Amino acid sequence: MNLPLPSFNSPLLNRRRFLADTGIGLGAIALTHLLSRQGLLAAGVSGKESIRPLIDPGHPYAPRPPHFTPRAKNVLVIFCSGACSQLDTFDYKPELIRRHGQAMPGKEHLITFQGEQGALMKSPWEFRPRGKSGKMISDLVPHLGALADDLCFIHSMQGKTNTHGPGENFMSTCNSLDGFPSLGAWATYALGTDDQSLPAYVAIPDPRGKPQNSVNNWGPGFLPASFQGTEFNATNPIRNLARPASVLAGSDAATRKFLQRLNEQHAGRFPGDTELAARIASYELAARMQLSVPEVADLSSEPEHILRLYGADEGGSKVNETRAAYARNCILARRLVEKGVRFVQLFNGAYQTGGEGVSNWDGHKDIFKQYSLHGPVLDKPTAGLLLDLKQRGLLDSTLVVWCTEFGRMPTFQKGAQGRDHNPAGFTCWLAGAGVKKGFSHGTTDEFGYKALENIVTVYDLHATILHLLGLDHERLTYYHNGLERRLTDVHGQVVKGILT
Amino acid sequence: MPAAIQSFAVLSAALPRARLPGAPLFLLLLMAFHSAPAGPITAKEIAALPAPAKRTVDFTKDILPILDKSCLSCHGPEMQKGGYRLDFKADALKGGENFAPAIKPGDSAGSPLIHLVAGLEPDSKMPAKGDPLTPEQVGVLRAWIDQGAVWSQAGRSATDPIQSHWAFRSMGRPSSVSGNGLMKNEAVPNPIDGFICAKLRENKLTAAREADRVTLIRRLYFVMLGMPPTPQEVAVFVADKKPKAFERLVDAVLDDPRYGERWGRHWLDVVRFAESNGFETNRERPNAWKFRDYVIDAFNHDKPYNQFIREQIAGDALGMDVATGFLVGGPVDIVKSPDPALTAQQRADELDDMVGTTGTAFLGLTLGCARCHSHKFDPISHGEYYSMTAIFAGVQHGERATPLPAERADELAKLDRHIKGLEQKLARFSVKQTGAGSATNAPRKALRPPVNFARNEEVFPSVQAKFVRFTVLATTGAEPCIDELEVWASGRNVALAANGTKATASGTIDGFDIHKLEHINDGRTGNEHSWISSESGGGWVQLEFAKPERIERIVWGRDREGVFKDRLATGYRIEAASRTNVWRTVAGSEDREAFKGRIEHLPGPVYDFADAPLVEAAEGRNWLRELDQARERRRGLAKLPMVYAGTFSQPGPTYRFHRGDPLQKREVVQPGTLAIFHPFTLATNLPEQERRLRLADWIAGAENPLTARVMVNRVWQYHFGVGLVGTPNDFGKNGAKPTHPELLDWLAGQLVDQGWSIKKLQRRILTSATWRQSSAPRPEALKIDSGSRLLWRFPPRRLEAEAIRDSILGVSGNLNRAAGGPGFFLHEVDRENVYHYRPKEQFTPAESRRMVYAFKVRMEQDGIFGAFDCPDGSLVTPKRSMSTTPLQALNLFNSRFVLQQSEIFAGRLRKEAGSVAEAQVNQAWLLAFNRLPDRRELKEAVAFSKAEGLPALCRAVLNANEFLFIP
Repeated sequence: MNLPLPSFNSPLLNRRRFLADTGIGLGAIALTHLLSRQGLLAAGVSGKESIRPLIDPGHPYAPRPPHFTPRAKNVLVIFCSGACSQLDTFDYKPELIRRHGQAMPGKEHLITFQGEQGALMKSPWEFRPRGKSGKMISDLVPHLGALADDLCFIHSMQGKTNTHGPGENFMSTCNSLDGFPSLGAWATYALGTDDQSLPAYVAIPDPRGKPQNSVNNWGPGFLPASFQGTEFNATNPIRNLARPASVLAGSDAATRKFLQRLNEQHAGRFPGDTELAARIASYELAARMQLSVPEVADLSSEPEHILRLYGADEGGSKVNETRAAYARNCILARRLVEKGVRFVQLFNGAYQTGGEGVSNWDGHKDIFKQYSLHGPVLDKPTAGLLLDLKQRGLLDSTLVVWCTEFGRMPTFQKGAQGRDHNPAGFTCWLAGAGVKKGFSHGTTDEFGYKALENIVTVYDLHATILHLLGLDHERLTYYHNGLERRLTDVHGQVVKGILT
Repeated sequence: MPAAIQSFAVLSAALPRARLPGAPLFLLLLMAFHSAPAGPITAKEIAALPAPAKRTVDFTKDILPILDKSCLSCHGPEMQKGGYRLDFKADALKGGENFAPAIKPGDSAGSPLIHLVAGLEPDSKMPAKGDPLTPEQVGVLRAWIDQGAVWSQAGRSATDPIQSHWAFRSMGRPSSVSGNGLMKNEAVPNPIDGFICAKLRENKLTAAREADRVTLIRRLYFVMLGMPPTPQEVAVFVADKKPKAFERLVDAVLDDPRYGERWGRHWLDVVRFAESNGFETNRERPNAWKFRDYVIDAFNHDKPYNQFIREQIAGDALGMDVATGFLVGGPVDIVKSPDPALTAQQRADELDDMVGTTGTAFLGLTLGCARCHSHKFDPISHGEYYSMTAIFAGVQHGERATPLPAERADELAKLDRHIKGLEQKLARFSVKQTGAGSATNAPRKALRPPVNFARNEEVFPSVQAKFVRFTVLATTGAEPCIDELEVWASGRNVALAANGTKATASGTIDGFDIHKLEHINDGRTGNEHSWISSESGGGWVQLEFAKPERIERIVWGRDREGVFKDRLATGYRIEAASRTNVWRTVAGSEDREAFKGRIEHLPGPVYDFADAPLVEAAEGRNWLRELDQARERRRGLAKLPMVYAGTFSQPGPTYRFHRGDPLQKREVVQPGTLAIFHPFTLATNLPEQERRLRLADWIAGAENPLTARVMVNRVWQYHFGVGLVGTPNDFGKNGAKPTHPELLDWLAGQLVDQGWSIKKLQRRILTSATWRQSSAPRPEALKIDSGSRLLWRFPPRRLEAEAIRDSILGVSGNLNRAAGGPGFFLHEVDRENVYHYRPKEQFTPAESRRMVYAFKVRMEQDGIFGAFDCPDGSLVTPKRSMSTTPLQALNLFNSRFVLQQSEIFAGRLRKEAGSVAEAQVNQAWLLAFNRLPDRRELKEAVAFSKAEGLPALCRAVLNANEFLFIP
């Protein structure tokens, strides 16, 4: 089969025809048929039938149907790296205040991650009733407190590990080990995305640096690299996105065109080879991203009142400057959601640098001093982001998830003024599409140490997020290394109680 | 056993064993006496059981149907209620959580299985759902148990894993298919082609014609060396009109050192090799690269694959220490905590990584699936998983010292001669030291032989002792080393830790797991299991026995394996005591002849030049300076090389963890392996190295049905892009079936028959007509088999990350061919408590080596090529994804690296082709695509180059599909 060589002056048109002629997708279908007929595909797990999305190599991000009608079209995860204390923010425990300074009953000699525990310690911040619901939230996060009526709290979260790296892995990938696909990778693998000129999945690291377990939080694991989160924030653009400074724009465009010409001539000798077509398509998407990503990351068009809403306009102190930088990331997150990016992961807090808890929520030593920075940095911009999403009507189709790798102890560490790690009970909250407003699900014990009622595991949380996206966490699979892998492994139940 | 306890044991044995785990003794007794329904089964109840059938029972005919109908839906592959599984003999006999053992062969009346199906356990009548068994059926089951519970495998096709699953059956030895249907143009038929053609015919497909020579050499170089050939190499091959030109080219390529770099990289994927710990600290492992070099070297030297397996599992026993880098190559969480639950979980994860990787890499079995429960699909029980962990239980992540390489030992010997010469020259300046205990004035008596490095025996009149102390007074140099201290009493070595003896010492050298104090009495000899004092020239070690012993003989040595000739205690005293304040000397060095071997005096003799004439004194001082320098050099040379290949120590017992939870310990398991073929179980106190050796032999044995099949499939996959089995790490029931089962077995047979030579196997594949086919697509064939799995053509595919980078460097003429040694960094490293790696932007010749030599960091990818599905070694990667993403396009089109290489490439073209644009384009095409441009291409390329410059042309060429695809 010989295709006529496309004419040099209209390569795009001819490429389209080339793709149409060779029938991308058809080949994949024929392949699947042949293989399954001969039993050459790995068998699925028993029980529910697996659903492996069929990825068109030429269009890995093409929208794909969910399993059932979704409540949310996209997801925004706000991840507080370092383990944000539930006891100083959202989990109000009057008994902890009453028993301040006493030993925790029955746990007098408790050994946790860093060692021995001292007495129970109330939060240095007052709790007050907020909103119509009267939800008790601390003075550390007053702006978020003001939005209590929009939030859906889960106070009974439970993790599996009390170490940061495995903890971040667990919250982002449902597996405490390195190398598993992140929630965002699963979501984009399943659903693709609507806007074909922006990445389907964006990870926005904190202005102070990457989170503790770095790119593993948005890694593709064993899924194809297409589904890795693309990393950039308002300060640092995508690596290699921009045209190299040494190359003039005209020359760059001409080179791109010449390359396309080379590739099409080559593809003409291999009609029907979808991989070649896919690479040609990827250069086109890259070119579109070169225009669309700087545009979406350019905040100069944001009006003054929006900057003020997020706290992006203030400076003059370390807190204000860090807050303004994080606030710009929040605005970027909103802009991405607005454009229909399927999955956005926004980080607050970076890897440990300059000592424990200096650049993230790991408040072992002196929680008052450390959180006096982290609280304000998180509070106003995040609240601004929620308000902005709400006023633009985006919360109707966007699910917001605020999370952290695990919680902290109600006691102070022996000989320190901070709290040790605690995966036994902690708080996450959700807002927006498909979840109840002004609602609290589950409780911890009287001191906020262990989840007690309606325990929600990290698997359950992930199963629920997939559910809201219209995906059955037990059916969405990918075959790897002998297993039909699932995000939630063999665990997880949708938390029905928080759904509207 | 005291009577009271014994009677309780009888009672509790009669109780369902784990009904109340951890219930206090009194409660169990109360229950036994007072709670009749849950109490022990009475003799009366036993007597009322249906009688055993009075005939010979056949397992397949009589028993299997009962199990299939009434038991296996809850106690089979899908589900193991109560932790009980009835479809494998071992599990069926062993029992579950509550009733174990469930079947006692020969004793049906005492077998809980019978009690349950007969309804004697009111809370656990079986089957729980559906009709109860008839008395006849119970009788048949009883007869079967009484007749020995014979579990015959013959004819058990439906559920027997070994008979029913192709990969667990012994390898067939299919004869090669020949005759018609072979590929065209084939002088000597290659059996591979017979198998392939037969399958093509079945599917109404035909093979393609042979690819042209340019394509052949380009494909061969990409696949085997990971880089394109040079224009000269292409020209020579194309012009070679002699017969067997391709065969000779194949031989040359297999001999090229780049072959090991390319194929070693594949293996490193399979064994999840990387050089940082992973997790948030992600610190470097500076001596892990030696394992990478070992793998490359193994491929280059065509190390027999069975030997390659053995070395990676137990290289410390086979003179190939570095190879055990395999065991500890995976990520490890080094953030430790006093929290015992966390510590136990971390250790369980480490062992799971070793067991899991061993299973997938060598056997294509997902052993890790049996961590929490018996494997759902494959005959791997929960207990067997823990038996496998017991094999690795003595392995810890970390570095260890390895023996001196021969050339260093030679150098050391030379230096020692030099030192000795200097010492002799300096002798006349030596100041006589009057040491205490000098033997010179002692009355002469018959002396014992001098001490030796290997083994020294001290015999003395027997003496009652609770303590023995060995004090070192002088050595041949450095801190003394003792590999084992044996103390004998009536034919028993009472010093062994296993006998309850505790060891203490003045101090132990820091940082060497192989020289810890525990090795002084661990029953193992040789340098690998020896104690070294912390004190140069001295130190003591003391043993305290569990009870006073009448001791009569002590044996000790520095290295009973005779390898190490240093650190020997030449002066020593051995004392015994019943209480630690009353020591009596029982043996010592004073009645031995002086040691005559090489002795380094530490501290050395003191030299005094004050009395010597000026000139001689000056000369003496020079010698002394030279001596000091030589000694300094010696210290460096004698330092044992470190390698990240794990440390080994004798582990305690291994337990089965209920549901994989390390806090829920169950019974102790013996080290052992899978029951599916020639299983073994080992004593729980067997030295840990011996355990690994046994496993290695079991895997590498020719009779193991999986090992050879799994490896030939990997080799095939890296040749053709997909294996004959599409799931290279899962040959179990859940994996894919082979497209060409006979071919797989034929290749596996070849591998074993040809001395496990990988290169011979590859020569077969490469010279087949199947491999040499054109890759051109044909619409009618694409319709039938779009994935080219049946090989009606050679399936083209994109190069992997490393091959792309290497090829760019090769074509630009900028490749640094330095092989081996520590890796170069693709990242800037911030070495804080938590390490951070930022992709480099500037590249120097140091970074222009092949990518297999890049320091392999977990979690952080190379800023350019990482996006090309390059795994980070966190998990095993049996097969790379081949995704296509816009980030790949951006990285290749815009990165500084590629722009820099484009400039260098352009410079090369100018140098090699001069200043004429046509010649430059021709040369660019020859270098990058191994062909000349056609007329139209030439015209367009020249026009483009003239308009935008030669580097722009090079940039486009390095981004072209033709450059990145294996043709």
